Amino acid sequence: MVCTEKLGLRSEFSYYAFMKSSGLRIVNFVLLSALTLVQVAPVNADVQTFTDNNSGLLSWKAQHPGFSLQFIQLLPDYVRAVYSARGLPKKVVELMASYCIFGTIIKNESDQPLSYRVANWRYVTQDGQSHPVKTKTQWLKEWRGMGVAFRFSLLPDDQIFAPGDWSQGFTTLPLPPDTPVALHYSWTLKGKKHEGVFKNLRCAPVKAPRS
Amino acid sequence: MKAFLKICVAHLSKPRVPSLYLLGALVLSLSLPAAAVRAALPPAPKLSHTLTKLKTPVPAPDFTLKNMDDKPQSLSDYRGKVVMLNFWASWCPPCRHEMPSMESIFQDMGKQGFVVLAVNQFEDSDHVFAYMGQLSVFPTFPILFDHKGKVSQMYGVKGLPTTLLIDKQGRVVYRAVGGRDFDHPAVRKLVRELLKK
Repeated sequence: MVCTEKLGLRSEFSYYAFMKSSGLRIVNFVLLSALTLVQVAPVNADVQTFTDNNSGLLSWKAQHPGFSLQFIQLLPDYVRAVYSARGLPKKVVELMASYCIFGTIIKNESDQPLSYRVANWRYVTQDGQSHPVKTKTQWLKEWRGMGVAFRFSLLPDDQIFAPGDWSQGFTTLPLPPDTPVALHYSWTLKGKKHEGVFKNLRCAPVKAPRS
Repeated sequence: MKAFLKICVAHLSKPRVPSLYLLGALVLSLSLPAAAVRAALPPAPKLSHTLTKLKTPVPAPDFTLKNMDDKPQSLSDYRGKVVMLNFWASWCPPCRHEMPSMESIFQDMGKQGFVVLAVNQFEDSDHVFAYMGQLSVFPTFPILFDHKGKVSQMYGVKGLPTTLLIDKQGRVVYRAVGGRDFDHPAVRKLVRELLKK
């Protein structure tokens, strides 16, 4: 336990621990409030859409300077297979399969540390409503209540990537199959927060277009 | 290619399901020219070889896990060696992608005091043994089983694969989050330097 913060794998948590323990909560609050008020305009990423030749499923890749993010449609049956193969209870398997899940690949392609925080990401449904993206921490809490200890497969909540680091995992949205959705994401590079948006994501259909 | 795809999905309970594993493996294995919109697949990311040096080396916590033969092994058994500690799972495409490079560097540098410890997450030895048989190169380095993810938690691992390099004094000195090409000359050089210290 001791070494995790020093390893840089949990350095965000050490910041909060420091703020809490050193009586700087007010300063923290003011800083966070100020950050919330600062509007960062989403930048137009170079978003490419791809179609898998075998399945017909779609994927999207946003390429920014030093940062890339990729979303891949996953069929509900695939999600069932993943969690069944891990031996998770049927209740959990079906719960996960009821979500719209995108395989997500996030990469630091810069020469500087890069971070992201899923809790800052939002998805926008067709009615224009913005919703927070469910985080891995929220899922793990739910899973623990169902007696599941499995921790991987979901995109980590927040990470600080060194140059060359990258990660992958599931992003989960409580939406029916084949639903169009926009996803607003953000990342921080060289201390500056950036935002981007996938305007035309679509949840995977129930069956692959080509099977 | 068909055989390769079969291997990719063989471990799933419903092998006909198009999968992230399949997609991920394809993403990692195919190299397509960058096209405009609606290309067949995203261009395959080439694994980098960069490892991040920790500003201050951190003592690596000891642990004991069972290996493929169900025998306990501890990290401290390898004190005095340079250890590549890799956290992985069979369903993780970049884990599969980087494993041959781990075997290659282990084959070449194993006799010089270098060892790879691949700590599997949440899987059993039967499943992993079957998976190993599907790889192009059967790993000869120790595979350890972290059934409940306690060791990965102890090391603060958030995503798979994550790899740490531990020096002869038992300190974590480098880390890498995400798949890497460990067979790269730069990584070998780095390991050689650690072996000299």
